[in-house]
Amino acid sequence: MATPRTPARRKEALTALLFLAPFLVAYGILLVYPFFKGLWMSLHDWELAGNFREFVGVLNYEDLWADPIFWKAVGNTLLFVVMTVPSMTLLALLLALAVNGRGRLKGILRSIFFMSSVFSVSVVTLIWSMVLNADNGLLVPLFRWFGATPINFLGNATFAMPALTVTTLWWGVGLPMALFLAALSQIPPELYEAAELDHAGRLTTLFRITLPSIRNTLLLVLVLQIVGQFQIFGQPHLMTQGGPANRTKMLVQYIYETSFRDWQVGYASAMAFALFLLMLGFAMAQLWLGRREDA
Amino acid sequence: MRNLKTFRALALATLLATTASAGSAGAVDISLLRFFGECNTEYGTVTDISKANGECGIITVLTNKFNAENTLGAKVVTQTVEWGAYYDQLTATYSTGNIPDVAVMHASVMPNFSGRDLLTPLSGPLKELGIPSDDFVPAALKNATANGEIYALPFDLHALLFHVNMDLMKQANMANPDGSPMLPKSADELIAQGKKFKEATGKPFIASESQSAEGMMVRFFDTLMWQQGVDVVSADGKAASIDTPEGLNAAKLISAIYSEGLANPALDYPGSEQAFLNGEAGILLNGTWGVDNYDSQAKSGKAALKSYRVANVPQLFANQKVWADSHMWVIPKDENRSAEKTKAAEAFLKFLYDNNYEWSRTGHLSVRQSVLDSAAFKALPHRNEFAATATNATALPQVQNQRAVYNAMITDLNAMWLTGTEPQAALSAMQAGVERVLRRNR
Repeated sequence: MATPRTPARRKEALTALLFLAPFLVAYGILLVYPFFKGLWMSLHDWELAGNFREFVGVLNYEDLWADPIFWKAVGNTLLFVVMTVPSMTLLALLLALAVNGRGRLKGILRSIFFMSSVFSVSVVTLIWSMVLNADNGLLVPLFRWFGATPINFLGNATFAMPALTVTTLWWGVGLPMALFLAALSQIPPELYEAAELDHAGRLTTLFRITLPSIRNTLLLVLVLQIVGQFQIFGQPHLMTQGGPANRTKMLVQYIYETSFRDWQVGYASAMAFALFLLMLGFAMAQLWLGRREDA
Repeated sequence: MRNLKTFRALALATLLATTASAGSAGAVDISLLRFFGECNTEYGTVTDISKANGECGIITVLTNKFNAENTLGAKVVTQTVEWGAYYDQLTATYSTGNIPDVAVMHASVMPNFSGRDLLTPLSGPLKELGIPSDDFVPAALKNATANGEIYALPFDLHALLFHVNMDLMKQANMANPDGSPMLPKSADELIAQGKKFKEATGKPFIASESQSAEGMMVRFFDTLMWQQGVDVVSADGKAASIDTPEGLNAAKLISAIYSEGLANPALDYPGSEQAFLNGEAGILLNGTWGVDNYDSQAKSGKAALKSYRVANVPQLFANQKVWADSHMWVIPKDENRSAEKTKAAEAFLKFLYDNNYEWSRTGHLSVRQSVLDSAAFKALPHRNEFAATATNATALPQVQNQRAVYNAMITDLNAMWLTGTEPQAALSAMQAGVERVLRRNR
């Protein structure tokens, strides 16, 4: 049914637009314009410094298709997301369940678990590089005590990726934990009282009351984590430089190198679009799965 | 009434103060972008150059001295960038418009900038400043020149060296009667000596940065290639010669150093220096920049390293060559830079040129023949032990994107000891990686 175009309605629409204007302007300048500028750049051979810009059509995308390091970076990034997102979500949930509720100790623990999130990525990677260093790291005496040769975590093909995952978990678990805590506090206590009256066990309570009640938060945490972890950059850039042998080379790192080290901003923009589509796909799939279970 | 008087006095004082400070700001501030670290707590106010040590100390004090003594009223304002992010940041200034007036630049990076007209040509200004180009050693001048135009003031040549712990070498019976270390003359001999050393001392023969960050072994690989008469990258920047019989010789030697346990693959850059200073390795593979530091540590008596010597990277194949690069000073091109600022920047370059000897105290080789020949330079510790390095110093041809070439080589060369890749497979991967970079060179 079409809305009747009366002057009053038009005025209402204008007022609404006026209220929305500040947001729309900021959104346009900070998101829409860069998005299309990026798309435009990806169709060029566009250099970071100097004035060289040449329209090349979809050549950058063709290059991307045939670039083995790009695909390696896609594979590594996916592996990192698969290793990090579920473990981060589970860990955050477990911590939230453990420290939820009243009590001085729980309050202190909540602060401690959240504390690592306030550090910058340089601090976090420095700390973990010191812990994991195979020459004089924190774990070296432990290995020696067992009479074993210390593992060179960051230089080892098998352990480099898990090392980055552990670093990321330690750094990032605070925020999802806080989200879960907020959600847990919203569950009406009557539900638990009713469950107790029905002699429901702790596990039953968890699966029948707690988890269903925080489903939306769970979904939010998952989507935020997927979008966030796809963009991992600082940890590999500072801890492994993508090594050994590109085993931890991630997409954003490759984009950064291509644009800032090699000055190929056009090609890097094409990669950034591939990453955008990848993230969009996964986030949408996650939301769609969430909705479908609702139905 | 009294209040009003006080207020007036205050206003007058403020006015005077503002005028005075505006007067001194009228003198030219020029911005300097560089790496070499930040050491203002130690050297922030020092202007006596004889008190400075190390790269950071010497450049900081030189800057202070220029600020204190120049007659133009120029003041150099330093912005220090961590080495790993330096070129990314310098490049970004061309987009942000915050272009520095003077910047440090490696010879290996210059082609990217000079090829895109991003640097101020210096042939004319150098002549006007009275800097004779024929006093530069040929390698340094070649580094600073592109298409017949000089784009940079060469400041040093820095090359790979063998830093040696003589106490350990003596323990392994590997010292010559003249006090110099016995060094290998072939690839096989290097491995044999390494085994002998390890047996006698129980320690690894070589310490070297072995992670994915610095690429010390890529510099050694390049050295071994030049010693066999092969350049890793062709002069036109279009082809790579890595996957070759010569490449295999070099890769097999480096792989054997690790597989025979002659070097600890877990060391990062500071770790390798620490291992050497702690007396945990016979030879440290590192550049000229370390000489000053290791020498003073050994003399201090606080380090386990007591008897320190330096040696040229030995000739293991037909030619005596060694990897080298060059620190240079450039004036990035900026259409908006005032004539005063340009003049001040040029005066600063002239000052740095005049004090080239001071910089060579770091361990770097001077780029001025007159300094190299001077008694003062020759009297610096250990210089005679690696004098040949000045003539053997070799760099890649002046091609673009050398940083990307370098990183691509690190990735696959280091895979030999980090992930157990066979030398031949590592070579093929390096060749492919470097070709991918060169393909985009124009």
